[in-house]
Amino acid sequence: MTLENLVNFLPALFDGLIVTLTLTLVSAFLGVILGLFLALGRLTKNKITEKACWLYIWVFRGTPLLMQIVFFYYALPLLDNRLSLPKWPAAFLALSLNAAAYFAEIFRGGILSIDKGQFEAATALGLSYAQTMRKIIIPQAYRRLIPPMSNEFIALSKDTSLVSAIGMTDLLYATTQISNNNMLPIIFIPSAILYLVLTTLFTFVFEKIEKKYSAYE
Amino acid sequence: MENVNKSFGALNVLKNINLQISQGEVVSVIGPSGSGKSTLLRSLIQLEEITSGTILIENEVLIQKPVPPSKQPISQQKRAQILSKLGLVFQNFNLFPHMTSLENITEAPITVKKIPLAQAILTAESLLEKVGLPDKRNEYPARLSGGQKQRIAIARALAMNPKIMLFDEPTSALDPELVGEVLETILALAKEGMTMAIVTHEMNFAKKISNRIIFMDQGEIIEEAAPDEIFNKPKQERTKAFLQNFLK
Repeated sequence: MTLENLVNFLPALFDGLIVTLTLTLVSAFLGVILGLFLALGRLTKNKITEKACWLYIWVFRGTPLLMQIVFFYYALPLLDNRLSLPKWPAAFLALSLNAAAYFAEIFRGGILSIDKGQFEAATALGLSYAQTMRKIIIPQAYRRLIPPMSNEFIALSKDTSLVSAIGMTDLLYATTQISNNNMLPIIFIPSAILYLVLTTLFTFVFEKIEKKYSAYE
Repeated sequence: MENVNKSFGALNVLKNINLQISQGEVVSVIGPSGSGKSTLLRSLIQLEEITSGTILIENEVLIQKPVPPSKQPISQQKRAQILSKLGLVFQNFNLFPHMTSLENITEAPITVKKIPLAQAILTAESLLEKVGLPDKRNEYPARLSGGQKQRIAIARALAMNPKIMLFDEPTSALDPELVGEVLETILALAKEGMTMAIVTHEMNFAKKISNRIIFMDQGEIIEEAAPDEIFNKPKQERTKAFLQNFLK
């Protein structure tokens, strides 16, 4: 009885998986872009920009992601009716803004880890700060960033499960729904396997990327 | 022609340095560790900021602290233009590891001077010939020996056509058997008439290449003279004491 029932529920799980995957990919993409700007902002000499970026990172890393998701969906409309966001934008917003804070620190760490002598050599040759960053520092930094980025990416893929708190049908929500409505807690096992497949796939892809970029070291 | 006139009053590291180097002159700076030799060179090329004093390159003020009330501080553009007359070779090479030898040499001319790629490559190739490494053009620094890396670093600095070349302990990080090839390259450059300031511990080399030797200790210039004088007839006690270490 159990096995046949389980198979019936797989399509629902797969639908949830698509949602999870979409949330992960889009939020990671947006988070990386914003994170890069934040990292450069943290490294600039301009005090206002530096403090502003620091503040952003402090807030978004310092408060629970669950709270941020709930805030953007439930709390924003309470401040102003016009700020009411549907589930998807709210989820994307919360996940991206949160991921950006973590990516920013990863990028900043990567840039700072480049030997100071590289910067000095570039300066001695007459390159400006921007030119040095663009052609010397960042090209070296991003090769080092692959392991911590893959880490954050995989964490993000599991963090997406928090959107179930606002009733979005990601994989976790679909799983709990099936379990509750059908008294079938065993559904968590195939669900967990699907999460595992997803994260393993990501790990595999990042390992390939890492290998490709370690050409000159 | 006056290339550098420098009077300093930097705390601790450089004390009231007054130094002039003429065009075509080769000056070696020697002294014990911590004497401020590297700081001197690095302050010239503005990798270190002086606390007070003036630095002039070819009679143009590069930096003046404090800025006299009648004058404006120099513009970024002017500063960059003056700095482009200086080239620096580092003790630990600082080659760009993600670029080949050729790319290391062409990078600055293309990015800073906007020289077209083809022209930059031609210049780079002739520089590679000059330092004796034409066959290493497509190698990454990781595949080069220390001596080769330093010679590429010299070619890279020369690619920007400096008037004055600074060498900060160019052979200190090299295995002894690799030192010779780098010193030969530097010597050849001196023979061509390049103005140079070299911080070094290679006394024989300093004797051979220099018009003038400067001995520094604890941030001050203790003595400066022609190589013969300073090595054979040092006037100051501290100079004598230091040179004792190098007597055969």
